[in-house]
Amino acid sequence: MAGLSIKDARKHFGTTEVLKGVSIDVADGEFTVIVGPSGCGKSTLLRSVAGLEELTNGRIRIGDRDVTGLAPSERGIAMVFQSYALYPHLTVYENMAFALRIAKADKVAIDAAVRRAAAILNIEPLLDRKPAALSGGQRQRVAIGRAIVRQPQIFLFDEPLSNLDADLRVRMRYEFAELHRQLGTTTLYVTHDQVEAMTLADRIIVMRDGRIEQVGTPRELYARPANIFVAQFLGTPRMNILAATMAENGRATLAGGRSIALPSLTTPQPAGTPLSIGIRPEDIAIGEAPGALPFTISFIERLGGLATLHLGGREGEEPVACQLRDDGSLEEGDTVAASFASGHLHLFDSTGEVLETTGK
Amino acid sequence: MSLRRWSVTLLAALVALVTIAPLIWMVSVSLMARGEAAQFPPPLWPTSPTLENYRLLFGSFGVGRFLLNSILISTLATGLALLFTIPAGYAFAKLRFKGRDATFRLLVAALVVPGQIGMLPLFLELKAMGLVNSYAGALVPWLAGIFGIFLVRQYCLSIPDEMLEAARIDGASEGQILRRIVLPVLAPIIVTLALYVFLSSWNDFMWPLIILADQDLYTLPVALAAHSRQNVQDYEIMMAGAVVTTLPVLILFLALQRYYLSELLTGSVKG
Ligand SMILES: Nc1ncnc2c1ncn2[C@@H]1O[C@H](COP(=O)(O)OP(=O)(O)OP(=O)(O)O)[C@@H](O)[C@H]1O
Ligand SMILES: [Mg+2]
Repeated sequence: MAGLSIKDARKHFGTTEVLKGVSIDVADGEFTVIVGPSGCGKSTLLRSVAGLEELTNGRIRIGDRDVTGLAPSERGIAMVFQSYALYPHLTVYENMAFALRIAKADKVAIDAAVRRAAAILNIEPLLDRKPAALSGGQRQRVAIGRAIVRQPQIFLFDEPLSNLDADLRVRMRYEFAELHRQLGTTTLYVTHDQVEAMTLADRIIVMRDGRIEQVGTPRELYARPANIFVAQFLGTPRMNILAATMAENGRATLAGGRSIALPSLTTPQPAGTPLSIGIRPEDIAIGEAPGALPFTISFIERLGGLATLHLGGREGEEPVACQLRDDGSLEEGDTVAASFASGHLHLFDSTGEVLETTGK
Repeated sequence: MSLRRWSVTLLAALVALVTIAPLIWMVSVSLMARGEAAQFPPPLWPTSPTLENYRLLFGSFGVGRFLLNSILISTLATGLALLFTIPAGYAFAKLRFKGRDATFRLLVAALVVPGQIGMLPLFLELKAMGLVNSYAGALVPWLAGIFGIFLVRQYCLSIPDEMLEAARIDGASEGQILRRIVLPVLAPIIVTLALYVFLSSWNDFMWPLIILADQDLYTLPVALAAHSRQNVQDYEIMMAGAVVTTLPVLILFLALQRYYLSELLTGSVKG
């Protein structure tokens, strides 16, 4: 097994630059998830690691080998594609044995490897079937089995769950975690589903537009997003971002004129500086409290146990989403008091970068 | 059964009858005695069926030799055509190389030029190469038909790139990918293409007539045509010759028919 290191990866397709200098270090055995919106270059990055795309610039190391110029098969990686890409004319067994047969491995060894992988994935009864006779979830397992059989140093997954229905996705997510616990193989996993990222990852890499926005554990990214993009990308419902200006006494004035207390900044800002205040919907407390602000509920989404309140501000104010346990007592049109505890606030400067606060 | 289904079945039966009637009459005439078919009105069935025409055909006329020539040329043409066409079509669809699309567009543009126009230049070329009046010369036009390349390319386009990439990651060389992944997936279209080339070369008349001067090298259509020019009245022998010409390809066609309409790529990719 081995770690992975990417240094200053750049990739052009014609004149468009898709990767704009990406550097990543993945420790041995780590499960790293790359998330980002569609088109940000996740697949391109993964395919570059696999050797399916040639980087315009940059180097890739796997373990202690520089694999930048090597063919895909020489890199010690296995990849599972979003479309599974099974060989339709081969049985499940032959699909999984394909790489070892190409490598002219010993028959007994091949059989052992295929059966071991099939046992791990619970697909032993399917070994004689062709891919056409499998369900989506079963195909997915075969694709993973094909990767396991090769005993790669690194697993590469490109949105492996996106073709499955919601139920199966949740179950396979759990199985991915289980598989990783069992095999301990270094994994690079691409998704645009932030729930997958939060639940599976040891570390998350958030990408946007060919660049890395932030790297960290799910906990870190959730608690201390480096900018507004990351803040809004992780967590549902998304973090509220309110425009404001600095006022005196460690307070800020929201658009619309209300005043709230801020946490103390590491680098104090002069009054009048524009800033953005972020607060997660689940961090807003509803109920009378000192400093609470009155809001009218413009709309309620009830999700069963939880409800999302959309608090319509007064004239000139931005609406705020707030999530809480739903006891059925609130109605649209009610006025509630909402507190924005300063400890839960995230402050961003006018460019969207975080403003460090003390005590976090 | 509904009226609608009845009428469709009836129509299909009618079309089949119209198509097959001449074939049946061809066989029927080939079994008649000399001169019987020339009567008016021509009889539908031989009064006393005889194999005399076939005996003459294989005996003094020596159709066995021409049959062998035809089989040899069509088989080789088919084999060689597949050998060149499949890799070419695959490369045009899936491999990245300089000038790929421009070359392909040029080839497709050449499709609109009727084959007959190319025959004279081709003949002169082969003459310079010393291939006139040889099997090799007869085979040349079949080597890499543009239509075949086009057909293979179109089917290759439907092969998902990710499947080939998976094979690449699995360590397969480009040759192994072609043999072990692409060929099996293309099987139905390969059978279709093989049939097409075999039939076309089997029935081809113009080119072997031009390129083959030696009687011994004649293919069936050329030999039969030469014979009918000399013996205009010999309907029964001509029909026996027609049976010998048609039957092998008919059998081939029927034997392979279950291959050409099967599904191509089920199960590789989602859905
Ligand atoms: N072969 C190619 N030629 C030209 N442009 C390409 C090619 N492959 C990808 N791109 C472009 O590169 C950008 C990044 O693509 P990529 O597939 O890496 O995005 P992604 O993050 O995986 O998106 P998604 O979540 O939709 O899969 C896109 O704008 C895409 O159009
Ligand atoms: Mg992608």
